[in-house]
Amino acid sequence: MTVELIAAEPPSLGAIGVALGPALTVGAGVDTTTERVFYDTFDGLLYQAGLEHWAVPGIAPRQSLSEAAREAIGVRALLPVAHVRVRAKTAPLLDSLQKTVARVSIERLELAQASRAQRRLRPRVVLVPLRGYDSEVEDARRLLQAKLECSDADQSLREEAAIGLGADPAGTSSAVDVALSPVQRADEAAGVVLTRLHQVVQLNLPGTLDDVDSEFLHDYRVALRKARTVLRELSGVFPPERLAALRGELKWLQAVTGERRDLDVYILDFDLLRARVPTEQQPELEPVKRVLGHRRAAAHTQMLKDLGGRRARRAMNDWTTMLEYLPRLPDDDRPDAARAIDDLSSERIRTVYRRMLKMGAGITPGSEPEAYHELRKQGKELRYLLELFGQPLHDARVVKPMVKALKGLQDVLGRHQDRDIQAKMLRGLADRVSAEPGGAQALMAMGVLVQQLEDDAAAARAEFAKSFTAFSSGEQRELVKETFRG
Amino acid sequence: MSKVLATYNIKGGVGKTSAAVNLAYLAAQAGQRTLLWDLDPQAASTFLFRVQPKVQGGGRGLVRLRTVVAEQIKGTDHEHLDLLPADFSYRHLDLALDSFNRPTSRLGRVLEPLQDEYDYIFLDCPPSISLVSESVFDAADALLVPIIPNALSARTFEQLEQLAAGGKQAPQVLAFWSMTKGRRRRHRRAMAALAEGHRLTMLEAAIPTSEDVEEMGEERNPVAVFAPRGEAAKAYEALWAEVQDRLG
Repeated sequence: MTVELIAAEPPSLGAIGVALGPALTVGAGVDTTTERVFYDTFDGLLYQAGLEHWAVPGIAPRQSLSEAAREAIGVRALLPVAHVRVRAKTAPLLDSLQKTVARVSIERLELAQASRAQRRLRPRVVLVPLRGYDSEVEDARRLLQAKLECSDADQSLREEAAIGLGADPAGTSSAVDVALSPVQRADEAAGVVLTRLHQVVQLNLPGTLDDVDSEFLHDYRVALRKARTVLRELSGVFPPERLAALRGELKWLQAVTGERRDLDVYILDFDLLRARVPTEQQPELEPVKRVLGHRRAAAHTQMLKDLGGRRARRAMNDWTTMLEYLPRLPDDDRPDAARAIDDLSSERIRTVYRRMLKMGAGITPGSEPEAYHELRKQGKELRYLLELFGQPLHDARVVKPMVKALKGLQDVLGRHQDRDIQAKMLRGLADRVSAEPGGAQALMAMGVLVQQLEDDAAAARAEFAKSFTAFSSGEQRELVKETFRG
Repeated sequence: MSKVLATYNIKGGVGKTSAAVNLAYLAAQAGQRTLLWDLDPQAASTFLFRVQPKVQGGGRGLVRLRTVVAEQIKGTDHEHLDLLPADFSYRHLDLALDSFNRPTSRLGRVLEPLQDEYDYIFLDCPPSISLVSESVFDAADALLVPIIPNALSARTFEQLEQLAAGGKQAPQVLAFWSMTKGRRRRHRRAMAALAEGHRLTMLEAAIPTSEDVEEMGEERNPVAVFAPRGEAAKAYEALWAEVQDRLG
């Protein structure tokens, strides 16, 4: 394992040789100056997976990405975290057979794009063992610590550089994760949650507008939807007029971002969907991909106009204004404002759960797709209530399995809805696709794909009964009643 | 999946270790992840790479799969080139192998966990006809056989052919002239005579008797490191190019 030590002042190779002798000797040193640009996703997925990635400036960061890192980041884009200049003196450490057992580097480090005052990072002594020589490096570490002013690095270079630039090395989280107390006034608790959700929407806006990756818009929309759930389910804590206006505006924001998100999902799924048609027909779907790309570009342009316009800015301001005023408003027209949040949110969780039981019981394999869609919407409402209020206020051991049972049901409903929408969208694309070169063949391949999607939707409908039974079991009902007594 | 190449000859002192060390070095220099397993208890390859000839649990521990092979590997001073060292206990490897039902499959089993980690695995084998060599034939994709051009060559070929054909999956046998003294024409004649009636492939490349090869022991390095423009270094390059060509 590579060992990194922090030194107050960079030691010389000679001093290292004295400290490590006579067991190890230091070979001839080589001076190098290199630059490293550290990368991570907006939400720090590499950091959270315990991974690190850097590239020299000018090299695309994805070019040399390890398989593990590729897996960890998924669809997210890599963004520069810090640009570090490394002036190093590197030499081999040799054993009594004059065999190289490790390489030692004395590194003088600075941030390349920071003010002079912020630029300097602490010098490091880095020991990289050759395979099979870990114990020699372990001995060297102990000797350097004992004989030179060195200590184990308390931060990786990437962490130190990010912190030096005033950034959080763990990235920017879109999780809500706020502290609530069961006896807190409901309007105050709702304010805390909505403030964080407003922040998450704002954090994800620049990446959405710049189209950095598809997750910005996804996280933007999830936060928006959660905020709408709070406004709807806890409506009694807000002043009715302002509430109605804000709900209308957030609904509008959701609507103007919808088409681009649907197309993102379609394009992300495209290769998987394409794999569903016979191999010889797969290339024939290329015109469909082209048309989807054109439509996405158009949807993005329209979304930029909407989100960059006055109405969107005003909606976000109204949101903040209402939160600022909320604690000072009279309670007269806010019947639930002073109730304990545990009491109110438990009541809402019970109500939505009961509503779902009723809706689900009425669904049969012959029901219209809309019936499934409506149930899924309620499922999202319940999930957000559980995440926003259930988890912070109740025992996680009880709430988590409940969320899991709900997730099982939502997966089936989600698959049904996605396939249904995708089949409808494909049909809607037929005119555009037929006008493309190779359109006629594409239409035939689309026919096969539509059939596959409809089969998937039918399979999801067939699975529904089983997952709904788990969700609505007597045990689950009892658990909901017990946990969310209020 | 790595390609396993074994340098082998029944006779000693014909240039097996030199070939293993130099070819493994060339593979690694080209960026291929390469391992050399020094199976010879005399530990000449291990010595050349300045590594201690020591394996925890000895040869028995390895073939019984009690020792984690990956933990015994040592990085050499050369990038992409690792060594699984020799151990004095390898002189009893035959006995250790003999205790298994299917002894000849054991070396392959030892190498199994390394198959994705390396592009090439070289086996530097001791000179003998034994269970160890039979196990090598089972594990190897190809045998690289150095042949000294003299009267015994034909007999060596016959023995090799019999042995290699006896394995479960007969490896490709690539023979090359070793320790030659510049009389190429004579070698070609001998080669033509040998090729008749043999299924073995005789390669074009020939490794000359050279001071550079002898100096490897002093320098403790492959010839390409200390005499890159020498005749020997060039001969090994030509040999490696031909071997890769034959492996496809």
